[in-house]
Amino acid sequence: MTLTLHHAPDFASTIIRFALEELELPHTLAIVDLDGGALASPEYRRVNPVGLIPALETDDGPMFETAAILLWLVDRTGRLGPGPTDPDRGLFLSWLFFTSNALHQAALAMFYPHRPAGEANSDAAQAAAHDQIVARLGLVEQMIATRAPRWLSPDHPGVLGYYVGVLVRWLILLPPAPYGIDIDDFPQLKAVLAAHEARPAAQRVAASDGLGPTPFTHPGT
Amino acid sequence: MYTLHYAPDNASLIIRLVLDGAGIPYRTALVDRARRQQDSPPYRALNPTGLIPTLETPQGPISETGAVLLWLSDTHHLGPGPAEADRPVFLKWLFFLSNTAHAELRQIFYPHQYAPADGHRAHLEIMSTRMQRHFGLLDTAALQHPKLFAAGRPLGVYTIVLTRWAALYPVHGPRWLDMADFPALEALARAQEARVETRVIARAEGLGPHPFTHPEQPNPPEGSVL
Repeated sequence: MTLTLHHAPDFASTIIRFALEELELPHTLAIVDLDGGALASPEYRRVNPVGLIPALETDDGPMFETAAILLWLVDRTGRLGPGPTDPDRGLFLSWLFFTSNALHQAALAMFYPHRPAGEANSDAAQAAAHDQIVARLGLVEQMIATRAPRWLSPDHPGVLGYYVGVLVRWLILLPPAPYGIDIDDFPQLKAVLAAHEARPAAQRVAASDGLGPTPFTHPGT
Repeated sequence: MYTLHYAPDNASLIIRLVLDGAGIPYRTALVDRARRQQDSPPYRALNPTGLIPTLETPQGPISETGAVLLWLSDTHHLGPGPAEADRPVFLKWLFFLSNTAHAELRQIFYPHQYAPADGHRAHLEIMSTRMQRHFGLLDTAALQHPKLFAAGRPLGVYTIVLTRWAALYPVHGPRWLDMADFPALEALARAQEARVETRVIARAEGLGPHPFTHPEQPNPPEGSVL
């Protein structure tokens, strides 16, 4: 399997890096020059017509969408998440899609608050995004507490742990006061993320991307 | 047998069209939104987000439209399997539909969740422009991958139901979608509408005689859209 990840450090492609390192899949990094407008180039749009990172080039053609790439890696390797015939697959997919279309979307609204309704409404958009983020992380916390799923667990690495871990990292670091989240409000999730960030594969990515020693639970240290 | 928790003209419509299109047996359970049944403890026990649809399966309940579609696709072979060469195409557009096209169209239905009242006009202008771009990308993808985006199949159904809602909402706003701009999607609307299950479900959910080529506001015989 030949894999090329279009990557910029500490962007969503970092989520894919964590999974690739955990799976010990050899891959090439193609560093995207974000400031140089590389995402708008015709070459890049042939790989990803949406014009975002990440994109992963595979033997079966280019892929984009963070969660789609994570799921494809799970299914190709049989690791880091339940496969198609696993009885836990449906619940895993429900929360993978939720993370992608609800948690990740709300995080983007926090980081790009002018997007929904223009600069004039940025403050309101950020306040609304904050409420959504806290409610949605609360649902994840409650799900871990009641179901203790193997696919989002301190005892087993999984793609969802890395995905939520990077989102939580950004949600601690990036929002202006008072909108940053406090990971101690979500103790079950914190335990999952602490276990993930301590893994050797995670430490390799954190060192290489400059994310610090505890990228998910205490970013910025 | 599966149980689909649905409300008329809600995202459960996407699942219903795929289930019937593939001849998969299921029963329906109406979620009465007029009584906010989606917030009731029994429904929240099935789906803690309170969103519709939820599909109950022998392996437990599945929520999120995209998750249900993917699970059904893998279980009943409605799309490429994990080892197949067109799996990447299938997955990337399924997630794009879910987290970009569907998520942003949802903002147009519920602008108060995203902008103050005096910002709704700006919100609609921005979001409808973004949606036009998303439909443009989907139109190209449907042209390039006609089998994956066929009527009755997960990507085809998901895409065409989103165009229906884009044509109808906001109810009291300007019309912002012209299907003639998206020829592959226009052909898909005709193909989906010609299928027998579309007529049956359109009657059951009150979607009118032409739910995809000439959408009208729903008038469901039972249940409530909102």
